[in-house]
Amino acid sequence: MTAKTRKALTFWLLFSVPLAWTIVFLILPYGTMGMMSFWTRKFPLFVPDFQFGNYVILFTDPQYSTVILRTLKIAALVTAYSVALGYPLAYFLVFTIRSEKLRTLLYMCVVVPLWVSYLLRAYTWKIILGTDGALNSALLWLGLISEPLDIFLYNQAAMVITLTYIFIPFMVMPIFTALERIPANLIEASQDLGAGPLETFFRVIMPLSTAGVIAGATMTFCLSFGDFVAPVLVGGPSGTMVATVLQSQFGAALNWPLGSALAAIIFTLVLIVLQISSKLDRSGRVSMG
Amino acid sequence: MTKAYGRSRAWLPLLSAISIAAPSFANAAELNILTWEGYADPSFIEKFEKASSCKTTSTYVGSNDDFAPKLAAGGGVYDIIVPSIDTIGLMRQAGFVEPIDTKKIEGFSDVYPEFTKATDVVAEGETWSVPLVWGSISLMYRPDKVEGKPDSIGVLFDKKYAGKIAMWDDKSSIYWAARLLGFENVYDLTDEQLETVKAKLIEQKPLIRKYWATAGELTELYANQEVWLSNTWTGLQSKEINNLKKGFEVVEFTPKEKAEGWMDSMQLVKGSQNTDCAYKFFSFMLGAEGQCGIVGSTGYFPVNPKSVSGCLKGEEAEAKKVDNIEFVKSLVMWQLPARLDKYLEVWNAVKAAP
Repeated sequence: MTAKTRKALTFWLLFSVPLAWTIVFLILPYGTMGMMSFWTRKFPLFVPDFQFGNYVILFTDPQYSTVILRTLKIAALVTAYSVALGYPLAYFLVFTIRSEKLRTLLYMCVVVPLWVSYLLRAYTWKIILGTDGALNSALLWLGLISEPLDIFLYNQAAMVITLTYIFIPFMVMPIFTALERIPANLIEASQDLGAGPLETFFRVIMPLSTAGVIAGATMTFCLSFGDFVAPVLVGGPSGTMVATVLQSQFGAALNWPLGSALAAIIFTLVLIVLQISSKLDRSGRVSMG
Repeated sequence: MTKAYGRSRAWLPLLSAISIAAPSFANAAELNILTWEGYADPSFIEKFEKASSCKTTSTYVGSNDDFAPKLAAGGGVYDIIVPSIDTIGLMRQAGFVEPIDTKKIEGFSDVYPEFTKATDVVAEGETWSVPLVWGSISLMYRPDKVEGKPDSIGVLFDKKYAGKIAMWDDKSSIYWAARLLGFENVYDLTDEQLETVKAKLIEQKPLIRKYWATAGELTELYANQEVWLSNTWTGLQSKEINNLKKGFEVVEFTPKEKAEGWMDSMQLVKGSQNTDCAYKFFSFMLGAEGQCGIVGSTGYFPVNPKSVSGCLKGEEAEAKKVDNIEFVKSLVMWQLPARLDKYLEVWNAVKAAP
């Protein structure tokens, strides 16, 4: 056995399994999805074909653009709220808490809900926000309202609240890691050079933690963009998100071709988001060498 | 099961195998039933399991539109499905089910002929389903919150009850709106009529608290004070809600634009490995234990009047329309819409609208 064949053998031994996995579970399904998006719905099922009708429907029927735009809006809001809440929280954990033990404990408190079933956590919000729920009971008890309000549940606000709660750990984790990695001497140096706390934050801490924010925002955005549980549980009549439509095309409507075309569009949108985030990440990277 | 698909659909099982987490595969003595909440209640299903030594596993659907997708995505799992009368024809046309040998079913000849001879139950000279239970879809409200005695579908569109109304997340919403608008054949509306229906349903959206998807969800919506008015599977949810004793009651009513009627029947999935158990199940469900059991757990009406003579008497029998098949005529019986795709598209457009 020559060195070359041995090298090739090692290569295949090492990589054939992950390669096969990638092909069977990623490339093939994407390919099938792409192919099926050109098929035709024909009652009662659908037939192989090559035509662009499904895409034409998606771009011309306003029901699809309405839902996609609504989903983008909700995902953007969830991301914005997660940054607004997650960044101060991560900052507090890293820079304000002095005790290592307490910091780990609090960090675990943020992460631990991920161990609880997603469904259960979403369901909890139904109990909190409902007409008969905890929030209304509290407001009634405090005497702030005389009749229970029904503005908390079954609308888009409820969806944003629920999704923010559910996905915020994905925001806190990367920001926490980014902030923790900032060497203390950089901050000390900034202070020694006469920068105040604000200037230190904006010129040292923030630029060095941008990567964490981008990573967290990308994850939060993509996860909430594809969510279909919150609309079912806490979304109201106008809470349909794109994943709900996708589900109904593969379910009730039994129009897998149209569903595949919609999935292909979502796939493209997510790729664009990832592209933007990696661009931002690269441009924001600060050399620490 | 691959044989059940045409060559053109050879991709379906492959796709489902890779994209959908493989559900448990049927094994020999286990009957897998795709059915509705309450149709496989332990109160009678355990008796069947004991008597037949066939095990059963039941999965629930929330709408008739759930059957086809579940079967298309790897139909080998289920042995029996229980679609409503408007969907059994679709199952046949899609090639999902086998014809039924009625001679092998005890009590089949005692079932109301209005059902055993109905269109789609009988088609192409064969019988394709075994009637199980029937009933209506009416409206329901809380008398302590709703003024007077509503008698029209119009109450579901009354701005006075904004935010307190629930509708079933189903294409049948189109039928309700169409009847309110006075359209004649709600199963074959023209494009123009469908546009009017769509506009009416979109106009109703701000009044809707939630489109309910399962019987349990509607029960919960009432129990948690979220809604006061809705359509309902007559008999089932009202019983559940009133049993909760939340300090209020709900009342069902038939609007002057008529209620909807349905009949659910059992179909044998093509390629089922458990036909013996399936036929035992059909016979059991038409017998006294099955019919009394399902009427007890759901509040719906029995299809075999003979079987319920022991458990439903006097007023109860009257309420369950025993030997009163005439009642069917007062209902708008479900049919498969002439253009199912169009109806589903309209319903999806309503839900997607801002």
